[in-house]
Formats: sequence, structure tokens, C-alpha cells
Amino acid sequence: MSTSACSQTSLELSLPSELGYELVARDAVAAFARRLGISAERIEDLKTVLCEVCINAMEHGNSLDPGLRVEIFCQVENERLVVEVLDQGMSRYTAGATPLSIGDKVAGRGSLRGMGMLLISQLCDEAGFVPWSGPGNRFRFAFHRQPGPNLHG
Amino acid sequence: MSGETPPREPVERVIELRLPSKLGYERVAMDTASSLARRMGFQPDRVESLKTAVSEAVTNAIEHGNEHDAAMKVVVLLTARADELIVDVSDQGRKPFDQSRAIRRPIIEEVLEQDDKGGWGIWLIRELMDEVEFSTALSGGNQIRMVIHLEQ
Repeated sequence: MSTSACSQTSLELSLPSELGYELVARDAVAAFARRLGISAERIEDLKTVLCEVCINAMEHGNSLDPGLRVEIFCQVENERLVVEVLDQGMSRYTAGATPLSIGDKVAGRGSLRGMGMLLISQLCDEAGFVPWSGPGNRFRFAFHRQPGPNLHG
Repeated sequence: MSGETPPREPVERVIELRLPSKLGYERVAMDTASSLARRMGFQPDRVESLKTAVSEAVTNAIEHGNEHDAAMKVVVLLTARADELIVDVSDQGRKPFDQSRAIRRPIIEEVLEQDDKGGWGIWLIRELMDEVEFSTALSGGNQIRMVIHLEQ
């Protein structure tokens, strides 16, 4: 874990690019979010988004090379939980143009896959790739704090 | 060619976790370790033992090693092998671990008479894990290595 811009209340996680390990990351980040006082409902959204982003990093960024790593940085910024997921991949990937609707996909007018980015954008408060000079892709998403306990706990 | 093949290095997968030194965040390490252990096929009672041991080790690192300094990190390395899970917990502390605590077995009667009822953590970890070892981390802080074997 080389890059870090951590507040004191931060979590860093590094895992192999192997499908299945996104579930370990999911449980780690969910436990972190619970400590921050994020509601159970929002944590379910967070878990879904994190899994989608990690799978993208493993599959598209790192081409499922188990020798490469996926790194996750979580911290509190301006009362939001901000999560960044980095891969070490050789290939840049971005969301496609306008994704097909679920109706079009079910009707066979395109691949049934490729709904991950749409799902991510629907579930979290902000999401997108962060331009940076390092290798691989850097995807950032955030969940705003719900009314309730102070996030800095 | 002799036909002999060199011994193969065990295939292992490593997860690294860096936590703030604040009480309560040991739960993140517990949930991460238990998630990995379930995925590896450990039985539920062994997973519970692992969670307790990880909680004790991380709490010790927060309280004694890093002395609650939130700027310091507790590093947890989870190494999954085919037949075991290795958990390394290290702190960045300036306060070296008292090695005599690593071998001391608490005597219930004596502890009950003391004001401080703590000091059971190391003993508990030894009871719950298959292997336990104390050393100095690369950071210069304290490190505990706990190994739990996967019974097929």
C-alpha cells in the first residue's frame, strides 16, 4: 500500500485479484461503515457498490491476474464516507456510452452484462473515475452521511 | 534428469488491512478475518475462536502498543493457505511488549484479588489458536502471529 491520503479515521485494504475476495472486502468495509454510524440500509447499498467496483477492478483492470492487487482506501471527508478502489491493470476501462435498458437486454438487443456502472451510479451519491498518473484505474465513490451520529466517531 | 521435483512453495493469498488505533475498530479486523475464514471452510466454532483472538490481539495493539494514538495504524495481515490461516497483527508502538506476559498463565484466585482484572488476553489467544508467536515488526513495533489450522 503505497499511496495514502489518510485522515486518522481511515481504513486501507489490499487484496488479491481473485473473484471471491471482493466478499471479504465487502465485509471489512461494511464493518467500517457501521463504526461510522451509517444506516443499515445505506450499508447494504455500499456493499453492493463495493462488490461491483472490486469485480470491475479484478476483471477489467487487472484481467483476473491473481498476482496483481486491488487496493481500497476508505476515509471520511466532509461528512461523507469516500471509498477509492485502485487496480494495477494495464488496460484502462471506462463505462460504455449509454447503457442499454434492462428491457432491451432482456429482449436480446445486447449483452446481459454491463449494468454494473449503472447500478453503481444509482446506489451511491457520487461515483466516477479519478484521473491520475499512476498505473491502473482509480475509481471513487461516496456515500453522504445520513442524519444521526457524528461520522468522526 | 533425476525426476525429482523441488518442493513447491505453498500457494497463499494475502489480505492486508490498516486500521486506526481507536477502540471499536477491532471489529473491522474481526469481520474481515471471519469472512475470509468462512470462505476457506472453517467451522463456525473455529471462526468464533478466531474472532475472539483477533479482537484481543488488535485491542492490545491499540491500547498497549499504539497507546490509543489515532494517528498510528494497526496492521493486520491475513495469509490464507490451503491448510491454515495466518494472522499477523502489528503496531507502531514505542512501548515494547513485556515478553513475560506471553508465557504467564493467570491464576484465577490471584487475579480476583487484584484491582486490575485484565491480563487475560494473551492466555486466551494461546488457548484459542493453534500457534502463537511474538516478535518485533518491521516497523519496530510489536507483532503477534497467530495460526489456525484448517481441519479437512
